[in-house]
Amino acid sequence: MSEATTQNKEYSVIGRSFPKVDARDKATGRARYTGDIKVPNMLYGKILRSPHAHARILKIDTSMAEALPGVKAVITAKDVPSTMYGISPARYDETIFAIEKVLYVGDKVAAVAAVDDETATKALSLIDVEYEVLPPVLDPLRAMDDDQPQLHPQYPRNISVEIHQNFGDVDKALAEAYHVRTDTFSGTRTSHVPMEPHAAISKWEDGKLTISCSTQSPHYFQYHIARVFGLKMGDVRVMKTFVGGGFGGKLEASGAEYVSAALAMKTGRPVKIVFDRWEVFTHHRGRHPQHITLTTGVTKEGKIVGCHARFIIDGGAYTSLGIASAYYAGAMIPLIYMFDDYRFDGFRVHTNLPSCGAQRGHGAPQPRFAFESQLDMIAKDLGMDPIEIRRLNARKPNTMTPNEFQVNSCAFTEALDKARNISGWDEKKGKLSSDKGIGIGCGGFISGNGYAIYRTRLPHSGAVIKVSEQGDIATLYTGAVDIGQGSDTVLAQMAAEAIGINYEDIKLVTADTETTPHDFGAYASRQTLMSGWAVKQAGEEIRKQVLELAAEMLEANVEDVDIDRRVIYVKGSPDKVLPFERVANEFFIMRGPLVGRGKYAPPKLGGKFKGAPVGTSPAYSFAAQVSQVEVDEETGQVMVTDVWDVHDCGQVINPMLLHAQVEGALFMGMGEAMYEAMVFDANGKPLNANLGEYRIPTALDVPHVVSDLVDSYEPAGPFGVKEVGEGATLPTMGSYANAIYDAIGVRIYDMPLTPEKVWRAIQERKRM
Amino acid sequence: MIVPQFEYLVPQSLQEACALLGQHGSKAKVLSGGSDLIVKMKNGLAKPDYLVSLKNLDELKGVRYEAGTGVIIGSRTTHNQVIANPILREKYPSVCAAAATMAAYQIRNIGTIGGNLVNAVPSADMPPILIALGAQARIVGTAGERVVRVEDFFLGPGRTVLGQDEILAELVIPDQATTGSNYVKFGLRRAGALAVVGVASSVTMAGDVAKDVRIILGAVAPIPMVAREAENVLRGKKVSDDLIQHAGKVAAVESKPINDIRGSAEYRRNLVDVLTRRSLKAAIEKGHV
Ligand SMILES: Cc1cc2nc3c(=O)[nH]c(=O)nc-3n(C[C@H](O)[C@H](O)[C@H](O)COP(=O)(O)OP(=O)(O)OC[C@H]3O[C@@H](n4cnc5c(N)ncnc54)[C@H](O)[C@@H]3O)c2cc1C
Repeated sequence: MSEATTQNKEYSVIGRSFPKVDARDKATGRARYTGDIKVPNMLYGKILRSPHAHARILKIDTSMAEALPGVKAVITAKDVPSTMYGISPARYDETIFAIEKVLYVGDKVAAVAAVDDETATKALSLIDVEYEVLPPVLDPLRAMDDDQPQLHPQYPRNISVEIHQNFGDVDKALAEAYHVRTDTFSGTRTSHVPMEPHAAISKWEDGKLTISCSTQSPHYFQYHIARVFGLKMGDVRVMKTFVGGGFGGKLEASGAEYVSAALAMKTGRPVKIVFDRWEVFTHHRGRHPQHITLTTGVTKEGKIVGCHARFIIDGGAYTSLGIASAYYAGAMIPLIYMFDDYRFDGFRVHTNLPSCGAQRGHGAPQPRFAFESQLDMIAKDLGMDPIEIRRLNARKPNTMTPNEFQVNSCAFTEALDKARNISGWDEKKGKLSSDKGIGIGCGGFISGNGYAIYRTRLPHSGAVIKVSEQGDIATLYTGAVDIGQGSDTVLAQMAAEAIGINYEDIKLVTADTETTPHDFGAYASRQTLMSGWAVKQAGEEIRKQVLELAAEMLEANVEDVDIDRRVIYVKGSPDKVLPFERVANEFFIMRGPLVGRGKYAPPKLGGKFKGAPVGTSPAYSFAAQVSQVEVDEETGQVMVTDVWDVHDCGQVINPMLLHAQVEGALFMGMGEAMYEAMVFDANGKPLNANLGEYRIPTALDVPHVVSDLVDSYEPAGPFGVKEVGEGATLPTMGSYANAIYDAIGVRIYDMPLTPEKVWRAIQERKRM
Repeated sequence: MIVPQFEYLVPQSLQEACALLGQHGSKAKVLSGGSDLIVKMKNGLAKPDYLVSLKNLDELKGVRYEAGTGVIIGSRTTHNQVIANPILREKYPSVCAAAATMAAYQIRNIGTIGGNLVNAVPSADMPPILIALGAQARIVGTAGERVVRVEDFFLGPGRTVLGQDEILAELVIPDQATTGSNYVKFGLRRAGALAVVGVASSVTMAGDVAKDVRIILGAVAPIPMVAREAENVLRGKKVSDDLIQHAGKVAAVESKPINDIRGSAEYRRNLVDVLTRRSLKAAIEKGHV
């Protein structure tokens, strides 16, 4: 990786690989995650979960559990508010405990708080629940049929969300196309698998609820928890601890928060709940399995003229964040290639399986796999090179998608060319030995969401920076949420750059609804751009105030005074300098606290049609990924040996963290491509809700990765930044599937690309 | 995910250990590395009232060679110790290689060869190669010692010939005429994956002729399975690629795999075929690898 391309000489602090602000805490074990925290008088909470996928609750007898010494509270639906929660008012469909029916194996039925974990566990086994087991809905393709049981009375035919979006005239475009293909693909229910399970400690003191938890968004947690318990938002404080990974699964409050809060209110003592791995898997809120049918037409030359995408999406028991996922599925299809006529019909249906929600890449990775696979098939039909057909259709800068997403910077063509060069594509494509193959897949993603999850006029990010009275340090107060991705580090770099001081000078107070300014949190790849804008603005306000005073002190014109790494100087007069701390100290003495403030709200984005907000963003990233594989034809085992990823992500703030994000996202995409799928028995019971049988790739499985960049600058981003955290999950599935096809001539339409599946496809090819 | 209450007993001698096991009967379980047992206890699949730890029984640790007997492996030897042991690396590197296919480094640091055998799951990685090399199990109980071939050690999933008061003390790989041996495992990722199929073989070659052949299949039957018919295809014959191909097919036919979440029976049969060929070729051409 050439750092030179990412490093802009004008900058002093950004563009450099500073170690993460919390590297030492994490490496030494000093970092305290929610599960590590003990507070005086704390009780341990545990949730009793449904053993049935679909059942009516007839009776709950808690008397034996209550009688167990050490048990301080046993609660069920009758002890807590029955207010529903979820993503938006029309789709609030989940309650703290199941009220009449349980809808999946793992649904919340009751809970206990006890003096220790052992007693709480024992007490759960003493709660007697009588169920009437109902037939479950397990097949999403049949969920809408008339003969299927109904999960929610408010969603007839189990339809959670129905979407029809139509841009241009697809029928005409396809009728006039030189070549049209229809293919069907499917993905699986993969889960986030954060190393740290969901965890929360709730305290209830003097009418105020304080929750420390593993969260991606203190703000949304505060908003929904206050609403469900009928409290003022100001009486709910949510604080993030260290977070051991989120990936979308900790964007909405879970039973860990709601139930620990209810138990804390009931007992008056702090209550901690930490999920076990089975709970993390069954709570899920991860990837929706999608069944995707694409009809795409091209000209003789390979120019895409139109596409009709149809989806049936398995949403599981509750809506969670799934409306957004369902819209994302179709909304992101026309992002990276240019065509005008596009139609998208989708159904998200309910099944009695774990609820699906947001996961890295949100609804977009599986449709991207489908599109990238089909594009290769079309290229083959036309006798074109896969990179050529992509170059021909690649989005250009300053264009608009048919669904009205405005794209500013776009170096997608450059990314394709670079991927082609560094992977040795031209020397390899069609020239490798018969067990080896090379394939390409691409992607693009939002850099923050144009609209918040609920309707509000709040800006998306706020920041305050306060310089110390001595002027030696500056504290950045931000609601942005570092969940391991490094946002604290990146924002500290941006703050230092904006003020004109050093990275080491920035201290952080973050992700606490009471002490830090509002921010929507870590999702939609939004923080570098959106929180970054607020931080940059706050830093620049300090710089301005300092330079004004410095100009007075130096008896110079303010336009002539500048600052770089704490040195304030008069341009052209090398002897006229002042250290930052002197000016900052003087500022406090003369004018009071030296504070900078910033906020960011995206401009009005998107069209007017139903669902138009989903997928809007101030900026979009683009990526091209080439993979090389080796296939063992006798066993079907695929080894991915090399991946070359080229990302267009705008100005880079911290190259080390950027490449770590690319690798992490790519390995997550690899998990979805080759290993991961939650599986269930005929009654909807999970068969692999553990890390032994739900396999994520290990260090031994991952390929050699080259992560590279193209020069790019995004006018809508602070310092020119765009996203990177999710985008690199998008190309991977398609690039692997295409490489396998190149190696052995078999096309796999459904994820994951397991050895047995590849082997079966090879057997079929041999029979033909 | 909480380990239920139990009483922890730490005998100072093998005799004391056997006596404790005899005294507490089915309420007691031997604890070695705990990488199977503690997991089972956490998942509610085992609820012993007593755990009899072998940790102080040094006589069960380590590998030694006794002339006239063979290589003796203490049951408490961890997988990483097996992998690093100079005697095994010289005489039977195939045993080290089999241990290296298991789990991950941390688990190999605590999991023991004895535990792997007594736990007796069909997918266990150590039994096939030990059977292929004709290993014997030395078993100690309150009534004394007895020796059983590893081949005869397993009765069914989770069941062995061990009596209530018996401990697997040592494994003996007798001196032998074999010229090569090998274990091939197929798992669904490169670490931390149980065998979908594992095949071990050993051969005694005289020039091109296979004077003797052992083929042992893992994860395709309730216990490690000897592929007798496949052995017969090669035993006493001049080895050729065609014959090895044929042996693979025959092994696949005689295997008795089931469908489970790691693979279908049909796919497992294919793997038996492929891995049998690969294992045999390696043993014939490369020795004890
Ligand atoms: C993450 C993980 C990955 C794993 N991967 C693999 C793998 O790839 N391949 C594989 O084969 N296994 C694997 N295992 C299983 C396990 O690690 C091995 O079987 C290991 O060898 C067990 O040894 P142990 O000493 O930990 O046994 P323990 O758990 O202590 O004991 C296992 C059983 O044997 C009994 N026992 C142990 N020693 C004796 C003795 N000397 N005499 C009498 N009874 C005894 C115990 O009572 C118990 O019933 C894995 C386990 C984990 C947790």
